[in-house]
Amino acid sequence: MSLNARSGVAFEETLSRARTAVTGEDARAALAALFASVTPDSDFVDQARAARALKRIDVGALGLRPLRIALVAGSTLEHFAPVLRLWLARMGFGAEVVLTPFDTAVQSVLDPSSALRRSRPDIVWLFSTYRDLALEVHPGTGLAEVQRRVGDAIAARQALWTRLLDHLGCMVIDNLVDVPAEDPFGNLSGSAPWGLRAMLRRYNADLAAAAPSAVALFDLDHVASLWGRRRWEDARYWFHSKHAFALDATGSVAHAAARLIAGARGLAKKCLVLDLDNTLWGGVIGDDGLAGIALGHGEAGEAFVALHRFVKALRDRGVILAICSKNDRDTAMSVFREHPDSVLRLEDFAVFVANWRNKADNIREIAATLNIGLDSLVFVDDNPMERDIVRRHLPEVEVIDLPEDPSGYVAALARPRWFEAVAFSSEDRERGRHYADNAQRAAYREDFVDLGAYLRGLDMLGTLGGVDSFYRPRMAQLINKSNQFHLTGTRYSEAELTALAATPDCFVRHLRLADRFGDNGLISCVVLRRRERALHVDTWVMSCRVLGRTVEEFIANDMRAVALAQGCDRLVGRYVQSPKNGLVADLYERLGFARSAGSEAGSEWTFDLDAARSGWTSWVRDAANNEGLPR
Amino acid sequence: MIERDTVVRRLTTVFQQTFDDPSLELHDAMTAADVDDWDSLQHIVLVLAVEREFRIRLNPAEVGKLENVGRMIELLQAKAA
Repeated sequence: MSLNARSGVAFEETLSRARTAVTGEDARAALAALFASVTPDSDFVDQARAARALKRIDVGALGLRPLRIALVAGSTLEHFAPVLRLWLARMGFGAEVVLTPFDTAVQSVLDPSSALRRSRPDIVWLFSTYRDLALEVHPGTGLAEVQRRVGDAIAARQALWTRLLDHLGCMVIDNLVDVPAEDPFGNLSGSAPWGLRAMLRRYNADLAAAAPSAVALFDLDHVASLWGRRRWEDARYWFHSKHAFALDATGSVAHAAARLIAGARGLAKKCLVLDLDNTLWGGVIGDDGLAGIALGHGEAGEAFVALHRFVKALRDRGVILAICSKNDRDTAMSVFREHPDSVLRLEDFAVFVANWRNKADNIREIAATLNIGLDSLVFVDDNPMERDIVRRHLPEVEVIDLPEDPSGYVAALARPRWFEAVAFSSEDRERGRHYADNAQRAAYREDFVDLGAYLRGLDMLGTLGGVDSFYRPRMAQLINKSNQFHLTGTRYSEAELTALAATPDCFVRHLRLADRFGDNGLISCVVLRRRERALHVDTWVMSCRVLGRTVEEFIANDMRAVALAQGCDRLVGRYVQSPKNGLVADLYERLGFARSAGSEAGSEWTFDLDAARSGWTSWVRDAANNEGLPR
Repeated sequence: MIERDTVVRRLTTVFQQTFDDPSLELHDAMTAADVDDWDSLQHIVLVLAVEREFRIRLNPAEVGKLENVGRMIELLQAKAA
């Protein structure tokens, strides 16, 4: 997606293309044309028209993920809702956006028959602005009183969160509020503790510290500052119709929020694929040599060092890095090994592809090597031709356009916000290393002809656990991010997991796995429900990193143990087809379950525990008992 | 002051695009009741589209006054350059 503003004429043309495509019933082409016609920066008239055009597209035919969001606000969001739906469609959601009047929020949450409760939202977004807080105090008010007022405002938010989490068990979004541009005290409003700007900043900082991991905070103030704080509030439409921000900022707010929601629901991008020559350094390494490329000191090289730092920071927060370059491999690698000013080192990259084949094929291979979908990739290249080839052949891959001047590279990478996350876990920190370890494991695997010998040699140790405060965030993250190894496509928030764990006849399990190459971290989650004498597998997700290592069998054994302890006579598994989970379509069959019901889209599988006297063969050792491995 | 015909022609395009109906024709007595989807929500979209087309800014009182097409044309003739 390009962020360049489009002229009015071009907008008409693309929008009419979108319309034609809908009547041709080619919904996917219609959606693509629609998003070629509008950017987050487009004004409100264009946003509204694009949102209207979206209504004419058969969203069901696109396989978009259903998502219900309830907006609870003290200002008018009726014009925002359809535009939010538009940008959520861009991120892969077929969203339904419901509005609830702010004044009725608490009653709506408490009353089981309220529209809010009945709509069973996946997300409740408390869209607060500075106006909702009424934090103003008399000039000169003392610090203790200021702190008390801010503390009270935070406590009121916490009370609302608790109610929502307890009663709806859904994800909650609240806003870090916008700080207004104008104020009668001017500079003093920010420098005196009693100033409104100072109090709002204190509120935002304290709110961030008070929010539990089940509450995501949307930084509305940051969006306001990026958009332009002087224009952010349009007093005319506040007076006329209680719009809390300028209608022309609608696209920016909706786009930023849709990115955050995508991150929370597992649709953020996972991997950044980078070109080398004139992208990560100036010049051509094969021609100019190590000493000749622009990287490091001097006006030509500084921009590339800044890009290295930005990319390194992405890697440190869990984004996988890959190289895709037309180059000689050893020559290309020498920069990361030997160049004194290269911030990025060879071990930062999970995959390093440098050859002379076309980049579309290479990127396909990178996705396959990493075991992630093409739609998890973002591609960066200075060469417009290469970008075009990738766009044409791999429409699932997001391609970032770089400006001519390398000084603009960092902004070009940052602006589309492809890698938004609601939280940062220790797993994120370790992810880059996991993938690098995997490359080593693959190399090790080539030494073995006998798979059993390879797996035994891996010396895998599995640690089982349930829902606790330490592992709960990662469990929710895995359930919400996994698409490929996910049998039923269910999504559970942290609050829902806690509730499930407390439900009788319901069992929530996780598995951590270590091997001789390193710690893989928490790699699988299972939700089991007992109904009479059958133990049903409600949810089963696993990281694809550990596929084909008999971890599935290890987990099946754990399910069997739970079932036997509960006096069950059978395990019942379900497979619900999604665009991405073809990988596990035959999982139950492979595990020896018998198909008991179902169609193409979904099937049910039963394993008779009485008939089978033993469990499955796995090379994973259970950390909880010292039994040896199978012979 | 610009020609009434010019205002009507440009305003017709704005209406057709806003209400997504290429066959829409304007007449002076036309109000929200005559156009599908012309509700208070869509009224604001219409006003913003008018502001953009005629490069003007309306104040809150004027936004409320634009309830019929004839009044809208008068106001635009007076305000638009």
